[in-house]
Amino acid sequence: MVRDVAFGQYFPADSVMHRLDPRAKILLFIGYIVIIFCTFNYVSLAITTVFTALFLILSRISPVFYFKSLKVILVIVIITSLLNLFYGSGEELWQWWIFKITLNGINRAVFVTVRIVCLILASSCLTFTTSPTELTDAIERLMKPLKVIHFPVHEIAMMMSLALRFVPTLLDETDKIMQAQKARGADMESGNLIKRVKAMLPILIPLFVSAFRRAYDVATAMECRCYRGGAGRTRMKQIHMAGRDTAAFAALGLVIGGVIVCNIFLPAAI
Amino acid sequence: MSFISIQDVCFSYEEIEEGKHVTNAVDGVSLEVEQGEFVAIIGHNGCGKSTLAKHLNALLLPDSGRVLIDGDDTAVEDNTYAIREKVGLVLQNPDNQLVASIVEEDVAFGPENLGVEPSEIRRRVDAALRAVDMYDYRGHAPYRLSGGQKQRVAIAGILAIQPQCIVLDEPTAMLDPSGRQEVISTLLKLNRTQNITVVLITHFMDEAVLADRVVVMDSGKILTQGTPGDVFSQVELLKKHRLDVPQSAELIHKLRGCGLQIDKIPLTQEDCVALLEEAMR
Repeated sequence: MVRDVAFGQYFPADSVMHRLDPRAKILLFIGYIVIIFCTFNYVSLAITTVFTALFLILSRISPVFYFKSLKVILVIVIITSLLNLFYGSGEELWQWWIFKITLNGINRAVFVTVRIVCLILASSCLTFTTSPTELTDAIERLMKPLKVIHFPVHEIAMMMSLALRFVPTLLDETDKIMQAQKARGADMESGNLIKRVKAMLPILIPLFVSAFRRAYDVATAMECRCYRGGAGRTRMKQIHMAGRDTAAFAALGLVIGGVIVCNIFLPAAI
Repeated sequence: MSFISIQDVCFSYEEIEEGKHVTNAVDGVSLEVEQGEFVAIIGHNGCGKSTLAKHLNALLLPDSGRVLIDGDDTAVEDNTYAIREKVGLVLQNPDNQLVASIVEEDVAFGPENLGVEPSEIRRRVDAALRAVDMYDYRGHAPYRLSGGQKQRVAIAGILAIQPQCIVLDEPTAMLDPSGRQEVISTLLKLNRTQNITVVLITHFMDEAVLADRVVVMDSGKILTQGTPGDVFSQVELLKKHRLDVPQSAELIHKLRGCGLQIDKIPLTQEDCVALLEEAMR
């Protein structure tokens, strides 16, 4: 059911993007998101788009999966670009009833669409090329300084990785409970919105109860394997910053520089 | 001194209050397990066998009596993690024991908790996965594996801690027959080749017959124990306590009731066929 959603999945492979340090990837990702939303003219937009295309190619993951991840947010992209298209300011080019299209509106629509698509592609690339364990591990290490103010960094990272681990298991369970309730005559497809939400209750309650039972079991299993919090733990997979990480930061630096230069010397399109 | 020494252990899940009758889940059990032994504990639901299993790695502490693992008392708090390194516990539900999203990372969880060197963890993980024949699946996601495969990964996760003893609490109860076969043959192999002590809690009699020793529990007490041959020849006693016997043993027992003269009790199908052929002549 929800199994087909490509967004947020990990595809093991051996590519430059896979081999980048996960910490570097997260920092690059954050920097990249900021810079996408700082593009104000077509040249800088082109620079960031080329950069996006570059790391999609470097990830060596079939474009099919990237298209699938875009499909999920297609509706949002269309709605926001239409809103921007019809609500631009300035001289109108075309008008019908309350809808008017202006040059500014068209520009806005293009920028919003490209930015959202780049954003989704970049975050898909991050999750496609980084295993959940690597991600949580990287987050744990990046947030380490927060330990000084007694922020439970290890616990939060552990909860995140457990949550990610149990997503498919709980999805399976939801399917089973739905089938069981349908077998007893539960009707989940008809009626208005409120009725349908109410019909979800007989699924949510057993799911909740079983999640608690599972959590209890998982805790026991973790204790059996000598888990006692983050202190004194080592990791099998060590992560090191390498030459390619520096290169990646340098590339992002060039893009940021390019965008800033364009913004200063070229007129803004929106 | 035996490796595991359970001395007159009582345990109750209920609060102990004055004047109130308390039912003990484990009621005065004493049991010794030697290093390298394969012991099966059988009994029907609620007989206290799972509760007893949780005493072996200090998940539960006895209300009275003592549990010694390699001479260390489980009730002493400083011993807890040393004991859990020596005795690994595998639970019934394979799904709930795997904590990481990738097989090899899950197996690494135990040694990571112990603070083992990364290169040594890698070596242990590879060795553990090979020992349970799951090395080829090291990069897979646990939820894509079959029940038997998941349970073998769970066993590998315990093996990576390098325990001297593995306790398994009904590891095959949720598996299909082929999954059960995989798990049991893995356990036999570990016991034979690596001299790992195995305590297998089960309600499948055909698994129990493979053990060196069978312990039968009922209402928190040990009913009888001995070699599989000894235990399963007491068909009347087991029946009285609503326990199954292996099919072949039951068949011969019934034939005896009809007047057939067979004095041995067979445990496996092959033995049974051989015995019957002999009797027919």
